[in-house]
Amino acid sequence: MSDKKKLYQERLNRYVTAMDVGKPDRVPIRLNLSEFLAKYAGYTLQEIYYQMDKNIESSNKFIQDFDVDTVPGPPSLWMGGIHDATGAKYLKFAGRELDKDKQFQFLESDYMKAEDYDDFIENPTKWILTTLLPRLHTEFKDPYRAHLSLIKGAAGMVMNQGMLAEAGKRWAEEYGIFPPFSGMSKAPFDTLGDVLRGLHGIMMDMHLCPDKLLAALDVLVDHNIYYGMATAAGDTTLPLFMPLHRGSYPFLNPEQWDKFYWPTLKKVIEGLWKHGKRTLFYAEGDWTPYLEKIAELPDKSIVFHVDMTDMKKAKEILGGRFCLSGNVPNTLLTYGTPEEVSDYCKKLIDEVACDGGFIMDAGGVVQWDAKVENVRAMIETTLEYGVY
Amino acid sequence: MANQIDGLKDALVGLDMNKVLDKVKAGLDAGVDPMDMVKDLQAGMVEIGDRFARGEYFLSELIMSGEIMKQAMALLEPKLAGVDQEYKGNIVIGTVQGDIHDLGKNIVAMLLKGAGYNVIDLGVDVPAEKFIDAVKENQAPLLAMSVLLTGCQDPMRDIIKAVRDAGLDVKVLIGGNYVDEKVKEYCGADYFGTTADDGVKVAKEVFGA
Repeated sequence: MSDKKKLYQERLNRYVTAMDVGKPDRVPIRLNLSEFLAKYAGYTLQEIYYQMDKNIESSNKFIQDFDVDTVPGPPSLWMGGIHDATGAKYLKFAGRELDKDKQFQFLESDYMKAEDYDDFIENPTKWILTTLLPRLHTEFKDPYRAHLSLIKGAAGMVMNQGMLAEAGKRWAEEYGIFPPFSGMSKAPFDTLGDVLRGLHGIMMDMHLCPDKLLAALDVLVDHNIYYGMATAAGDTTLPLFMPLHRGSYPFLNPEQWDKFYWPTLKKVIEGLWKHGKRTLFYAEGDWTPYLEKIAELPDKSIVFHVDMTDMKKAKEILGGRFCLSGNVPNTLLTYGTPEEVSDYCKKLIDEVACDGGFIMDAGGVVQWDAKVENVRAMIETTLEYGVY
Repeated sequence: MANQIDGLKDALVGLDMNKVLDKVKAGLDAGVDPMDMVKDLQAGMVEIGDRFARGEYFLSELIMSGEIMKQAMALLEPKLAGVDQEYKGNIVIGTVQGDIHDLGKNIVAMLLKGAGYNVIDLGVDVPAEKFIDAVKENQAPLLAMSVLLTGCQDPMRDIIKAVRDAGLDVKVLIGGNYVDEKVKEYCGADYFGTTADDGVKVAKEVFGA
């Protein structure tokens, strides 16, 4: 076995052991770095949004320089060219609508209207293709351009995915590193609330048309399970990435959370777990009031990621049954000193990681403003102090 | 005459959109002073803000009440032309350049309006000059800036520096999910807020009302 293969296996074992709530040789380090990687490698954001080779190169530089167990693929998931091909109205990219070093922007709106619910429930895919896509894209003004733009966009997507797959192989072979997750899905409430109805729309719906909202959420359960397994290409070693948004405190009142947010999310997670697929419950914001509910999930079916949730309570309520991760504050990585970051990591290792089932990571996705010396302090502290 | 609008405040606090709009329409038909209705609605918004602060209401209730308020004001505003409204003071608010998140900003603005302040809302992606011009033009004693992403906090620092350099006598409040004491210090702001009702608390301190 080559050294890199051995390293790959060691790291993977460490990561999987922690997710199974076991105690590996040391605390694994996963860093969910996004635009930070571009800055570290010396690229502008325009370059990584528009050139897949540079997007991929950004990751190479970081994984050459740092000993981490796993980092997600390249910094940008959203390639500008694909969205330009279809004329996406809901996104703005660096170098086009924005300065070359500005983070991409998502323009939220109620792209789906309250009166669309019946058609959506009847056949969501058909509704998306015939109604939503034309609303979201300038190239859908006439059928001729619409067809061409879909071909261009799809071809671009396939090329990008091919490059990513190649890069993934190279990262494994040359650097002994693997991605922290495979596949992605969402809470049905977020599928509707993020891009379709928007926050404002879905908040109104809970008051004004709750039955339709509930029916639409139900329709999404099977779809979101399927989407997760399909985007993971069936892999069940790594967890699925599930960024969670509208369920954080204090968006919904407790009755709304119990009625609208949790039941279908629980079904998606349980459905994935039946396929052997674990979910990285990426709980953005504060989820402290809901920990007891989350504890209803089958043992080990999630990795509960802590952003601003009370870590002590998370450990108390979920510890021992679920792996925990995260919680190094993003503001600390940006404004703190290496000593402060190191102290914070030590505290996490002492108080949370002590009996296994913990993965070191930042609270939220690390943007380009994090200081390199603070990211270094996080890694070095874990490598030295996180040994069991 | 006032009995047309009895319960207007409670209807808003209870988030009953139809009842609020019916009462406003009935009030206007009966010739009730629109300012009286605005005051009732504002009192309702203050109560809603208090409920949020006590943990009884959540963002969903704030957003719903904002929508009801918007629709009620659409009925009332044409009747308010030429009426001098009394305000506790002027507050300039906006989301800083580079950031387009406006949920927090809109809720804070709504609660400030409800509490009786004149809120000049500059929207999102607002550059320094726009903030400075608005503070000067309105002689606003309080400037409130919203930001979500830590990566967009640098413009906030630059804007605050520009405001200080321009010699403006204005207190600066910054707000957002990832804002804390550290960010406040870094940006040179006077106050920071992380929850919906922090804005009103700070305004009370700045305006003494």
